[in-house]
Amino acid sequence: MRIKYDNENKLHRFGRYILISAVSLLVLLYVWWMVSIILGTPAIPAPPRVWDAFIHLLNHGDVVTGYSMWDHIVASLKRFAIAFVIAFAVAVPLGLLIGMSKTLDDFTRPILEVLRPIAPIAWAPVLVFAIDRTWGPILVVFIGIFFPLLTNTVFGVKKIESNLMDASRTLGANKAQTFYKVMFPCTVPYIMNGIKIGLGIGWMCIIAAEMVAPYGGGLGYFISMHAFNGSWPYVFVGIILISILGLLTIGLAERAHKIIAKRTGME
Amino acid sequence: MSGYIKIDNVRKVFRKDDRDTVAIENISLEIGKNELVSILGPSGCGKTTVLRMIAGLVEPSGGEILVDGNKVTGPGPDRGMVFQDFALFPWRSVWKNVEFGLEVAGMPKAQRDEKVERYLEIVGLTDFADARVHELSGGMKQRVGIARAMVNNPKVVLMDEPFGSLDAQTRNIMQAGLIKILDKTDQTIVFVTHSVDEAVFLSDRIVILTKRPATIKEIINIPWPRPRDRASPEFTALRKRILTELEKENVMN
Ligand SMILES: Nc1ncnc2c1ncn2[C@@H]1O[C@H](COP(=O)(O)OP(=O)(O)OP(=O)(O)O)[C@@H](O)[C@H]1O
Ligand SMILES: [Mg+2]
Repeated sequence: MRIKYDNENKLHRFGRYILISAVSLLVLLYVWWMVSIILGTPAIPAPPRVWDAFIHLLNHGDVVTGYSMWDHIVASLKRFAIAFVIAFAVAVPLGLLIGMSKTLDDFTRPILEVLRPIAPIAWAPVLVFAIDRTWGPILVVFIGIFFPLLTNTVFGVKKIESNLMDASRTLGANKAQTFYKVMFPCTVPYIMNGIKIGLGIGWMCIIAAEMVAPYGGGLGYFISMHAFNGSWPYVFVGIILISILGLLTIGLAERAHKIIAKRTGME
Repeated sequence: MSGYIKIDNVRKVFRKDDRDTVAIENISLEIGKNELVSILGPSGCGKTTVLRMIAGLVEPSGGEILVDGNKVTGPGPDRGMVFQDFALFPWRSVWKNVEFGLEVAGMPKAQRDEKVERYLEIVGLTDFADARVHELSGGMKQRVGIARAMVNNPKVVLMDEPFGSLDAQTRNIMQAGLIKILDKTDQTIVFVTHSVDEAVFLSDRIVILTKRPATIKEIINIPWPRPRDRASPEFTALRKRILTELEKENVMN
């Protein structure tokens, strides 16, 4: 029996998507497996061993660090969330101000240009030593999220149609009213874009930072402890968890962006 | 309510990259209360600039503009503006767009609601109060723009080619609608257009500008009552005469 593919049919489209995605992931799994066989190094274990490690971790927790798998996940997410909130609270208002004031823009530009190319993780040893093991990694993530969020907010302000500002002023709005009733809503789509990029970078930073400052749980900590012990299947469990959580966070931001775009009538 | 505009010897020079563009060269013009004056002129001659100067969005390089004896130094709700490209707030509903001016003026909610409702009814958009801007047609968008400017009850309404992007039929409907609104209000209207037909149909006076740098070429009085008959001989004759005048200012010559 043959079923003809119909692009208009939602079910068909969904089926096609699932099928192609599944094949794609199977290819990835296959390549991984092959590489592990060809190289024969314990550092790249075959998928079944990683699966066993995962099940063991679920049932018995992490014997090396004494935390459960969920503890590690929550620890990473908590740092990530705190960093995100701080980055948002600083980058968005600052970006709005820089976008509005040419002097502030010219003044902050050299500073930002000098700092921007530095990979956030380069700050990890400094920050962990200078501040502490709790706030050091959080600040690394903050730096990772801060720059894309700031850049996009500034860009958004500069993109505001001058006509909308003019309309607001001829309707009697004063500077402050024009700021929060027109400028801010205008930049929301750009801010959302900055958030999406920032979350991606921030998620990379948190893992790296936890590997530099292995303390208090977290997936980076988990990976670095197991790598140190040579328990490679656990390292791989950690890597896969990072991928899944990263997908979830960014998917969430993606979703929020869509909803906001729809509600604000601006795509 | 008044709305007496005095444009006194106004010049405007735009400076860009160390090059001066003289947009307006010494214009003087008085526009009376409750008058509808159209500004006609070749493309790029400075019509929008005149409106923006009255609005207070652009500062004259010389001379001054007075509204009811007060020098214009910045934008204010006493001078409403209807923009050629609508300039509606896309994150606000139709209702909230119209409400904007009342909201920033701090008017109590009940009063606001009553006013917005009345103006939406005047422009025939009551059923679209909750619609988003991007769901509207061009003509509907411009009606929102008009209601948004009018709801503030400004003394002066500045309209920059408000019907320029509409098809001929919608345009005629909008013109008729505008005349109806004018009957109910007593605002002074300055109306920029490219359409001679529209200017003759609507205006008490037509100001024809020369090509850049713009000066006043001619002012034509039209004392006929509205609504006017486009097919009447005097309408056609006047239209023809203005077209000939404008032809002489053609930038391509
Ligand atoms: N902000 C500005 N900076 C520099 N030059 C400007 C600015 N605004 C307008 N001009 C110039 O002033 C002149 C008049 O512009 P304006 O927009 O007032 O013309 P207009 O008559 O409205 O044209 P159109 O019929 O095409 O709408 C043009 O040469 C334009 O390039
Ligand atoms: Mg113009």
